[in-house]
Amino acid sequence: MRQIMMMQAFNEALREEMRRDEAVFVLGEGVQGGAFLVTGGLVQEFGTDRVMDTPLSETAIAGAAVGAAMAGYRPFADLQFADFIFICGDEIFNKAAKWRFIHGGKMKLPLVFFAAIGGYGGFGSEHSQCPESIVMHTPGLKLVLPSTPYDGKGLLKTAIRDDNPVVFFSHKLLLAAMGDVPEEEYTIPFGVADVKKEGKDVTVVATSYQVHVALQVANELEGRFSVEVIDPRTLEPLDIDTIVKSVEKTGRVVIVDEDTKRCGITAEIATQIMESAFNSLRAPIQRVAAANYPIPAGFLEQYVLPQAKDIVTAIETVMR
Amino acid sequence: MALTNQQLTKLYVNMVRARGLDELLVRAVAEGKSEVFLHSGQGEEAVGVGACTFLREDDYIYPQHRGNGAAHVISKGVSPRAFLAEHYSKATGTCRGLSVFHTSEPSVGIFGIGGTIGTNFSLSLGWGLAAQKRGKGQVVVSFFGDGGSNRGTLHEAMNLAAVWKLPIIWVCHNNLYAMYMPIKDAYPKEDIADLAGGYGMPGVVVDGQDVVAVYEAVQAAVDRARAGQGPSLIECKTYRYRSHVEGMVDFVHADPRPQEEIDDWKKRDPIYLLRNRLLEQGILKQANIERIDAEIVTEVEEAKRFAIESPFPGPSILDEVLYANAKGGAK
Repeated sequence: MRQIMMMQAFNEALREEMRRDEAVFVLGEGVQGGAFLVTGGLVQEFGTDRVMDTPLSETAIAGAAVGAAMAGYRPFADLQFADFIFICGDEIFNKAAKWRFIHGGKMKLPLVFFAAIGGYGGFGSEHSQCPESIVMHTPGLKLVLPSTPYDGKGLLKTAIRDDNPVVFFSHKLLLAAMGDVPEEEYTIPFGVADVKKEGKDVTVVATSYQVHVALQVANELEGRFSVEVIDPRTLEPLDIDTIVKSVEKTGRVVIVDEDTKRCGITAEIATQIMESAFNSLRAPIQRVAAANYPIPAGFLEQYVLPQAKDIVTAIETVMR
Repeated sequence: MALTNQQLTKLYVNMVRARGLDELLVRAVAEGKSEVFLHSGQGEEAVGVGACTFLREDDYIYPQHRGNGAAHVISKGVSPRAFLAEHYSKATGTCRGLSVFHTSEPSVGIFGIGGTIGTNFSLSLGWGLAAQKRGKGQVVVSFFGDGGSNRGTLHEAMNLAAVWKLPIIWVCHNNLYAMYMPIKDAYPKEDIADLAGGYGMPGVVVDGQDVVAVYEAVQAAVDRARAGQGPSLIECKTYRYRSHVEGMVDFVHADPRPQEEIDDWKKRDPIYLLRNRLLEQGILKQANIERIDAEIVTEVEEAKRFAIESPFPGPSILDEVLYANAKGGAK
């Protein structure tokens, strides 16, 4: 099968969906040139009416997307960095998430907020965050975090076709990652976790870039422990059933995510496991996530963001 | 275009209707009806009525929160029954009882009203963009107050709307107070309309107590927007008779609002001004006026009865409305 980069996978998904449905359009800062190349080249095919460069105005971008969605269009709003969702928090968390609900279901809000997450690049505290928990916490928003180009393309196509607001987070370190992507069209449904590696001793639930770190650790530990790695792929909806089934098999769980540990998604997933599979647990659940500090740029970043050795330690702890 | 006698009468009817609904809600708050919440709009009816009564059904509006949007939404075609039923949190309300003090009626271009001031700016961009893309001459009339004019979203939206020539009419209810904050302490100039110059769009000040003046200013801006010439800003000088939240004490900073100021503004009540004009010009006789006023009283009472007798929504609606096309629901 051919291999392409994650950002090419996103680009293909956008191109296919824009050809399929004229209501789909792209807006954001620098999208015509293509921030992170995700939207690059689209303007040549679809024109400036459907690939719209905006001024540096995050509330305008997000608000325009929300408004256009309720008025019958299907915007793809590129917010560049996920850290910027806080600038347009009212539009995302109060309007996109709530307006269908509080107005009695009288409208649909088919839109995608696309943003890059993640650190390990020394981007600093306001360009490195993984604000998953606040999105997952907010009723009315769907949340997608692909870890491979295959998942990225299939999930983005589903996100664009969904009639609800979808927050789509892609890790910066994965944008250039290569992976198998078939030529023929496909989509991936939301709420279906993917078992990235089967194992029988311990279940590692990991998201986005951490899926790759977990897989690397699992391979290094091969022979000592048989590690199963599960990628939920979407956090809302969350496929807790696949995770619980694995826990019932292994009895041991490590949850890995790059968001801040306190009130992070690792806490939510751990709680859901305990609510439905407590009797299967043979050791306390271990969580690996960012330490409870802002993310420093430079040398100290490594002491805040989760590292591969932290996953090793967590696995050794649950296996003790 | 000069208004016909019939159109002038319609403006009068809509203002009396909006005032009647507001007065009813004021009484409901006084009676302790727990679902009812009101930012009274008494004194400001000419703005919503003048701006919305003669819009197209497919034009979009973002109502202002004064009067809980009554003047705006009634003029755009929302029934008083559905408006009131929502205020009693009933299943027959415009938001099926989920929003109470907000109105949603997408079939007449009203998606809703936000709970945060200043999102009219950013959301209206999306409606304006949709209208522009569709190319059928729709416009957006986006209302905000003098308080809303202090939000940063105003800048981002007015700037982008001007750059993209979106068909948006920004209409400010300058009622002199944002909660307890007088505009003179919140904005350095006399006219909010002056902001328009910074975005290269027309900005006009109108007498917000004169419903015909509001109509004429909005209509000129609507014509401009429909012709693809972009946005405009209209500032309506008006006044809020009652407190920020009905049933609560009113202040200017930490002091009471001067009663003389309220009394002075009531001499220029928008309904009173139009009634006099209609009588003076012989468009309506005293008997016609009295008949209209009595009919509205009956209509509003009937709407209240409908609201009270309607059922509350059941909790099953929560899963139904969270997501469109949901297979499951919230877990």
